[in-house]
Parts: sequence; C-alpha cells; structure tokens
Amino acid sequence: MDREIVFASPSEVELAYLQARTRRHFLRSLSAGLGTLFLGTLASKLVPSAKAAGAETAALDFSRDARTPLSPLPPQFAAKVRRVIYLHMAGAPSQLELFEHKPELKRFDGEDCPASFLAGKRFAFISGVPKLLGSQYPFHQAGQSGQWISDRLPHIEKQIDDICFIRSMRTDQFNHAPAQLLVQTGNPRLGYASFGSWVVYGLGTENQNLPGFIVLLSGGKTPDGGKQLWSSGFLPSVYQGVQCRSHGEPVLYLDNPAGVSRSLRRTMLDTIDDINQQTYAAFGNPETVTRIAQYEMAFRMQMDATDAMDIRKEPDSVHAQYGSKPGEASFANNCLVARRLAERGVRFVQLYHWGWDSHGADAKEALNLGFNDRCREVDQPTAALLADLKSRGLLEDTLVVWGGEFGRTPMRENRGGQVMKYVGRDHNPGAFTIWLAGGGVRPGMSYGQTDDMGYEIVKDPVEIRDLHATTLYLLGFDHHRLNYRFQGLEQKLTSVKAARVVAEILA
Amino acid sequence: MNLPSGILDKDGKSFTTPNHGLLVQSRFGRVMLAPILIITTLVSLLPPDGNERAGWLQFVGNFHPLLVHFPIALFLLVAILEIVGRSGRFAYLRLSVNFVLALTTLGAILAALLGWCLGRSGGYSGTLVTQHMWGGVALSIICWLCWLIRSRPRKLSAAYAIALALGVGLVAWTGYRGGQLSLGANHLTEHMPNGLRNLLGVKDALVASDPSADPNTFYGAQIQPIFATRCVNCHGADKHKANLRLDTYRALMRGGKDGPVVRAGNVQNSDLFRRITLPASHDDFMPKGKQPLSAEQVKALELWIAAGASSSVAADAIKITPSAPASPAEVKFAEVDTAAVARLRSAIAPTVTQLQQQFRNILDYDSRGSADLRLKASILGSNFGDRDLEAFVPVADHIVVADLSRTAITDHSAGAIAAMKRLRVLRVINTRLTDATLLRLDTLSQVESLDFYGTHITAAALPTIARLPKLSHFYTGQTGIRPGQPMPEGLTGKLIF
Repeated sequence: MDREIVFASPSEVELAYLQARTRRHFLRSLSAGLGTLFLGTLASKLVPSAKAAGAETAALDFSRDARTPLSPLPPQFAAKVRRVIYLHMAGAPSQLELFEHKPELKRFDGEDCPASFLAGKRFAFISGVPKLLGSQYPFHQAGQSGQWISDRLPHIEKQIDDICFIRSMRTDQFNHAPAQLLVQTGNPRLGYASFGSWVVYGLGTENQNLPGFIVLLSGGKTPDGGKQLWSSGFLPSVYQGVQCRSHGEPVLYLDNPAGVSRSLRRTMLDTIDDINQQTYAAFGNPETVTRIAQYEMAFRMQMDATDAMDIRKEPDSVHAQYGSKPGEASFANNCLVARRLAERGVRFVQLYHWGWDSHGADAKEALNLGFNDRCREVDQPTAALLADLKSRGLLEDTLVVWGGEFGRTPMRENRGGQVMKYVGRDHNPGAFTIWLAGGGVRPGMSYGQTDDMGYEIVKDPVEIRDLHATTLYLLGFDHHRLNYRFQGLEQKLTSVKAARVVAEILA
Repeated sequence: MNLPSGILDKDGKSFTTPNHGLLVQSRFGRVMLAPILIITTLVSLLPPDGNERAGWLQFVGNFHPLLVHFPIALFLLVAILEIVGRSGRFAYLRLSVNFVLALTTLGAILAALLGWCLGRSGGYSGTLVTQHMWGGVALSIICWLCWLIRSRPRKLSAAYAIALALGVGLVAWTGYRGGQLSLGANHLTEHMPNGLRNLLGVKDALVASDPSADPNTFYGAQIQPIFATRCVNCHGADKHKANLRLDTYRALMRGGKDGPVVRAGNVQNSDLFRRITLPASHDDFMPKGKQPLSAEQVKALELWIAAGASSSVAADAIKITPSAPASPAEVKFAEVDTAAVARLRSAIAPTVTQLQQQFRNILDYDSRGSADLRLKASILGSNFGDRDLEAFVPVADHIVVADLSRTAITDHSAGAIAAMKRLRVLRVINTRLTDATLLRLDTLSQVESLDFYGTHITAAALPTIARLPKLSHFYTGQTGIRPGQPMPEGLTGKLIF
C-alpha cells in the first residue's frame, strides 16, 4: 500500500488485509517479485531508454487534495467531449419497432420461426416454436442522411442528421438487472464502479456546488439494476451518482429543517468538520475526508441544486418545446433539467426512463399499446434536448447517448407456448441499436448491420465495452489508463477483455 | 474339384448335402439372369450424363456406397472359404460356399442397380464413373457365373477357379475406382510419406493442373491452383458433376448443364462466384460438404472475374489487396511526455497556478499533454466580471476555449477576449455583450465556434464575423439576428439559431 494507514479495529485490519492481499498479489510477489528486482538492476544498463519508456507508461495520476476530491483534472489528451448525458431506456426498447427496417421479417410475419433461430439460444420467456413478428409500424427514410426510422418517433426524426446509429450493439446478458449493470458499470455483477463515477473520477467536475454525477428517474419505477447502477463500486464513494428528484426537493433532506437558519447550519457543520478532522488525524481513513467533503457540498448545494432543478424558471416556449410540466416526475422534465445541469458544468447526467420491456404480457407492455405511450413520453423531450443543446452550442462538447440494455427478438413472444393476447417481443442480447449524438461523433450515419430478420449481427459488432472505450476516448482517455487499483488489479470500466474504440464513428 | 457329398460331424451324425437343393438353387440362379440383363441394358442405354436428378432415384442411389461393401466382403469370403476349405480339417467350410455365393450375387446385382441410380442421378460423368460402372456390372455377372458353375452337379473346377480369381481382381479394381470417385483420384497416395513415395516412384497426383495454363498469367498462377486443389475432384476429367469441368480454361468458360458459370467482368452474375460465397449450409453452396474456399481464394476469383476472366492477363496485373473491412480502423492513443509538457508549460505555469488559486476550478490545461488552457468562468456566473477577466490577460495567448456564459462581463471585456488570439471556441451565452464586442473579434484567426446565444448582437456585425477564416459554427439563437435575414457571403450555413 502506498499510504500509511492506521486502522481503527482488528476487524478493519482484517478486512483491509483481505482486500489488499489477493491471489494476484501472491502470484506477483512469488514469481515476478524477485525477478523484477533483478531485472530492475539490469534494466538501466541494458536498455538506455528504459527510464524514458517507464515514464511513458507511468500510471496517470488522479490524486487530489482530500478536501476537494471532485476538483477538475485535465483529460489525458485533447478531448472533443466535456460531458455526457446518458438517456437509458430501461427495459430495452424494441429496435424493430423504432430503428431497424426489416422488410424481409415483415414478409415472414406470422410464420413459424426457423429451428436455426432457436438452437442453442436461451430466452427469458419464449418456449416451443414462436412465430416471426414483422415490425408493427411503418418505416421510412428521413433527413439528408436518409437513415431508416419508424413513424413512432416523429420529433427525433427531425434531428436524425445529428444522430449516429450503432445498429450492431451486442451484450452477453439477457436479463434486465445484469444487462443494465453491464451497460452502466462494465460488469454484470454487483460492486463495480459506474460509467458516471469513472468519468467524474477521471475528470472531476467543474461546478463544485453540484454533484458531478446526477441521476434522474422517470417512468414510475427504479430500473431493475437498482441503485447499483450509479454506485461508485470500489471507487471512493464521493464519485457515486446522486439521485435527484425532478419535483419537490431535488435532494431529500437537503433543505434546512424548520427553525434552522443557514448560519446556524454553517456553525453546526464547522463543529462536525472539526470532529471529523480529529477522527481523520487519528485513523487516516480517507472515507472520513469524503464525509467532510460531502457535508460541505450539501451545504453549497442548498442554493445551487435547488436553482438548477427549478424548471419553473424556464420560459413557456421552452416548456412547449420539451413538453415539460413543472411539478411532474416526467422524462420531459428530466430532459430539461439535464440541459440545465449541462449548462452548469455537471459532468455526467444519467436519465432512466422505465417501462420499455415490451413482452406483451399486458397492455402496459404491449408493442401496440404501452409501447406507444413510452414513445410519446420520450420522443418530444429527447428531440427538444438535442435541438436545445444544438442551438446553445452545447452539443459541440456534450455527448448524448440513447439506448437500452439489450434488443428484442424478431419472434413474437409466446409465454408458456401460448398465443398471447397482446403483441410483444422477448429479450435479444444478440443485436440491438443505440444512438449517439454530439461532440466528436460523426452525425447522420449508421454503423453495423444485422441480418434480414434483425436477429443477429452480420457486420461490425460493437460490444458494450467497445462503446465504453469509444466514449472514454471522446472524453480524452485511453480506456486502459483510466484505472484504479483494487484487489491487486488495475480496474477499468472496460473490464479485462480487449475493448476497441470504434474509430469509424468518430468525426 | 471334389465336392464332399456329406461330412461327418464329431458325433458321427452326417450332414446331408441334398442334391435337389442344388437343383433348386440352380434354377433360381437362372432367374437371376433377368436383373443382370436389365442392369446391362440400363447402363448401356442410360449412362450417367452429368445431370443431377433429385428425387427417388438419387435417394435410393445414395445407398450404393453403403450396400456395396456387402458383396465385396462376401465375394472375398467365398475365395477364403474355398482356399481354407482345401485343407481336410476345414473341409466343412466349403459347404456354405453356395449359400454365400447366392448372397453375393444378389448383393452384387442390387449394388450395381443402386450404383446406376446414383451415377444417373448424382450428376456424374467421365471415364472414372464409366469404368467403375462397367466393373460393377462385370462383377455381378462373374458372381452369377461362379454361382451357376458351383451349383452344377457336373464339375467345371478349372472354369470356376479362373472366374473366382478374375472376380477377386475385379473387386479390387472396381473398388479402387469407386474410392477415387468418392474420395478423390489420389486418395490412397495423398498422404503417403515422401520417403515411401520416392521409393515406389509414386507421382504427386495432386497437380492435376491444366497443362495449357501459363504460370506467368494470373489464371495459371492464382486461379487454376484453386480449381486444382478444391474443385476438380468433382469437376475434373474423371468426374464432371453437373457437366462442369474446371480442369481447363476452355472447359471452365464453357460452363455446366445450366450454362456458363463465369461471366467475364460480371462477378454478381457469375454462378460460380455466387455458389462459393453462399453460407456453407445453403443447398447451392460449393464445394458441397467441404470447407469453404479461403477469403484470399474468394478474393482472387472475384478480382479475376471482375478483371475480365481472361486466361492471358499477367499474374502481376491484378493486385490482391485485403478488403477494407478486414482491418478495422484503429485509434492511436497520444502518449504524454511529462518532461516535454513541463517545458511547454514552464513560461506560464506560475501564473496559471496563481490564477487557479484565485479563481478555483475555472482554469485548467486543455489536456495532460498540452500547455493550452481552457477558461470556464461560467461556473462563477454573475460573480465574474470584466475586472476578473482582465486577470487572465497574461495567459491569453494560451487560452483555446473560453466559456464566459452567464457572467457579468460587458463590452469592456472586448479587448481581453480579442487578446485570446488562439481561441478555438468562445462561448458567451446570456451575457450583456453587443455588436461592440463582436466587431473587435477580427483577431481571432483560429476561432471555429462562436456562441453568442441570448446576447444583444445584431446583423450589423456579421461582415466582420464573415471574415474569420476558420469559423464553422456561429450560434445566434435568441439574439437580434433572425433566420432569413440577408447574410454576407462566407456565413451561409454557419449560423445556428
């Protein structure tokens, strides 16, 4: 360990030991430890440039003053993108009803699914031989770029020349929670740092009066992956996402209780900070400093967060553009808040809109009913957000990502082998579409291709980790170098498998 | 040959060899003449012609390779029984010879019949299949003759021995021809170790190449070897399935039963190319049941057909370059040379540090690898005014991005902004700036993006802006400039409202 740490109790020591001393440490000190010592003495003689080479590959320094853990740091190299607005459509919207025009699938609508589609595949609900299901909605080409889109997103369609579709996304998870975790933390299991946490860890945040990573929910439910989706995992907890509410108090218990003035609050915080400083001096736990910093931020946020979240300050014309209504917990309101946060220098704004899981088991999740409502809820605000960012010049250095956690099958869901009352599709991790817009991304293009049925990728597959690597590249990082040592491994958002920056979509 | 009329077993009981049984067999044997004649007629009048005929004929015919092993084994068994049976101790073995011979004859006739079905329906033609076929027919006749002679009470032992010996030879020859048909002309010597190959003087039969192909041509150097190794087994001199031969250039260009397979210059309509690029599971895929051609081979064929499918074009006239998607684009991550960066920053570093302490979080380097600066005063909002901006004049040369949105700056700052000569992006959303500032920005020769959303600018300053050489975006929403106003040349398409 680099730091001298005094531990509070034997159990804490034991925990720290377990976290620090792992199989990797053992193997490294056993086999490589002595060897590298030996090589180290030789290297400077053998290779004159060894020192220079060592400097080049030196780990990037992300250390900051413990009192200001969120202070901004420059990116590794000049970056096109300074902030991200991630619109996660929780439940996985059907790409075949929105973006993937498949006339061949339409032609085979209602016919038995070929056996080759089913062999060796796992489905959440499909059983037996399902029927193929053509798109429920007509498609057409739109914009100067002539990309295909269905009639469900008439507002987003107007921005299509600013959008870069990746039609060949792939995941290895077919259930919502692990698939969402994979998209948001780079790993399908619990305990990993989320996308936003990594970005704030790497770049800090410009506005110290607001959290660097803010999460806004709509659609009535928390996504299946739960609050782990914006957890900081093994990163210091100061980098975790802060969930804000789009009506009422933006952050619960942020306001002073009745009868407590702001100056009284200040006095109280000073005392608490004093005690915490003593604790830190005694035990040296960095989480104590995190706690001090968070109290301080909460105090500053009392003013700024309330102001940033207060969409009543926007003129009626803006509300008309977004379709937002102050006081509601809606995706439209959240989009407007996202723009206000982007203006105020918040690094990562994460929106979740729940309800896209169109299995067809009931009216709310039927492609011909509830799905339409979801489309209406997100279409106008998403398009307004893009247009608004563009007219304010913010789209130049903001990256907007729109997508779910996997795709949906070209087969109609037949839960229990029965024909269901409503039309729906099952989960398809093999192919889905997401889109990007904004800084550094080539506008008005499509990347990747699926087969005529929209079932499997036939060209240029993009893994979730490739998307992460690409986004981090746009933010100015080599995804290998944005890392954090934990359990003996340089942990990365892209995990341990090789990830590729999708250079073809870069502007 | 002395046939024992009865043999005593070890209990002293005797097996009788009923003469009337032989007679019955003999009469039945004569009946076998009919199917033999039928086969001979079929083979003579309806020989395999290279056309494929799906349906019952092919379905039944596909059982030929399975069934054919029975008469082969049985016929060899007859020979073994006869030889071993000569020894007195095993004399009883010869009692079963007649029965085995009868089975052999039946099997041989059936195998020959199925063989014809396969040959006729499976798209075969050529010397190999003809030889194999007539060998099969001859074998069934020999089997039948052996059986007839053997069943006769009157002995014709010399004729029988000759027929038997001839039959064994024919089994070997016909079987080898059959093996060549299904496994390839050189299937026995293909993997022969080189030492043995030299010892026996076996030639490398693999090179069944077109003698007319000049190795200096693209066809001779690239295309013919593909056909020789992957295609001529079924589409060669000995076997031309679908009436298609690929062993010579002329045969290739003549095509098969459905016409030409290669259309010069037209890759998409060349059936040969279509078939080799189908998925291996497709019915029309070639080579059927084998590994698909390698990507390089397919590419070579594609280029050759596209270039006119000539037999004379020189080998180096067509360049085989790997197709673009084979190597996806890669990005290079810039490496940070800390020492070099420190040198670059040395002149301004003290000022920057001092400014960073004075104005927290609003000034930082553009990246870890550069001495360029970004100013983000918008964080401070109305707490940041003209006087504050003046503090940044000493580093103005290094500022490449300046965001002064929502600050309290006024046109008094025009000079401070104009001093940032390397500015790429200037953002002054919702400030009180007017045309007075805009008119002084003609110094910003590097600026790509000007963001004056929500300011008081008007069209009056547009001619100055139009002269900025690198400008690509000018954000003028919520200002005095309206869409549809006359624009100076050079600003068309650059204004965003």
